Amino acid sequence: MNIEPFERAIKETIAELTTLRATEIRNEDRLREDLGLDSVSSMELLSMLAERFDLEIGIEEAVQITTVGAVLEIGRQRLHART
Amino acid sequence: VRALVLGAAGFLGLNLVDRLLLEGITPLCARRRRTNVLALRARRLPMVEVELSDRGALLGVMAGIDVVFHCAGHYPRLSLDRDAAIATGVRELEHVLSAARAAAVRRLIYVSSTATVAPPRPGRRASDEADRFPAPPGFGTYHDLKWRMEELALSFHGVEVSVVCPGACLGPWDLKVGTSALLIATARGLDPPCPDGIVNLVDARDVAEALFRIAETPRPPKRVLLCGANLSLAPLLAALAHRYGAPPPRPPILAAEAIRLAEAEEERAALGGPRPALSREIVDLIVHGVPIDARLAEATLGMRWTPLSQTLDAFDDWARRMHLIPGASLEPMEALS
Repeated sequence: MNIEPFERAIKETIAELTTLRATEIRNEDRLREDLGLDSVSSMELLSMLAERFDLEIGIEEAVQITTVGAVLEIGRQRLHART
Repeated sequence: VRALVLGAAGFLGLNLVDRLLLEGITPLCARRRRTNVLALRARRLPMVEVELSDRGALLGVMAGIDVVFHCAGHYPRLSLDRDAAIATGVRELEHVLSAARAAAVRRLIYVSSTATVAPPRPGRRASDEADRFPAPPGFGTYHDLKWRMEELALSFHGVEVSVVCPGACLGPWDLKVGTSALLIATARGLDPPCPDGIVNLVDARDVAEALFRIAETPRPPKRVLLCGANLSLAPLLAALAHRYGAPPPRPPILAAEAIRLAEAEEERAALGGPRPALSREIVDLIVHGVPIDARLAEATLGMRWTPLSQTLDAFDDWARRMHLIPGASLEPMEALS
């Protein structure tokens, strides 16, 4: 399973939601504190990724995700489960 | 019934969608491109992406639709640019109304706000549907925007329009934490500064019920107010602080001070700062709040209001699952008067 397209999409989507460049975003960044995404934008990020990759992500699960790495991990799990 | 919900991914939209599903109605869910649709995806509902700025796209979406529920009226993030907010809100509503007319939609149900409700007529203790500001009240952007939009909806011809004015909505799916911001801040012991005034509270599930009933009623009211409880905010926050084990709230601040504070917060947010802790429209709604008589909804739609204590319990349960309020759920709340 190739996770790179998902990882790239995370950073492109964050760049779309903020004024940051995708290349500036690191996996250890925190969505709120480091990237300035509030809770609404964080949910939008997960929703946009869920639609783009056709993933099932529950709201209760989404509200607990606070870092880029955690977004990547949930994508990895869901994509792996599909293969 | 072929139903279209504009704003289906939002607070009232999701409550309405759930109410329609209970009735066996699968609505077409309209959403903006950039929005959180996780809850709609979980329900596996048909979705369509449409911007209210695109009248042609709206017309296409409304083809074959009987009833449009418009839960997506413009709500500006900040109140700093009144003219721009009004221009956007009115233009989008014109698109929705004219598309509904062109698509021969049977009924359009537009969600407005109690911001359009004037103080009661002389000799009355509460305002009803006859109490509507004769012109934009000039309190702030939100009040003037909602008045202009409602005026357009009420005067529009060629499609049957019902206007619904809910009070401050509380309940599950307030993911953007609008009305419930003060409640959550109080539950977290943050003691937010705010003014005092009359607040009209209504359970979001009751609003969804009313919207559904308007769609089903042969001759619904042209304009109807929805309110389950009229309360002064300060004692309500004191009761909530007590419930959550927080210290008693500070005394309410004066209206002028609250407006200054909200404007400063909004200026900061406009420069890229965090969301205002106290927004201007919430201040205006509180300080200009009037008691509301919702008996028309009871008489014409058969509405019964969820007791506020039950609404607060349901919200508490949902907010904890969403991690908006930390910890385990509380015991059921005693009735509030």
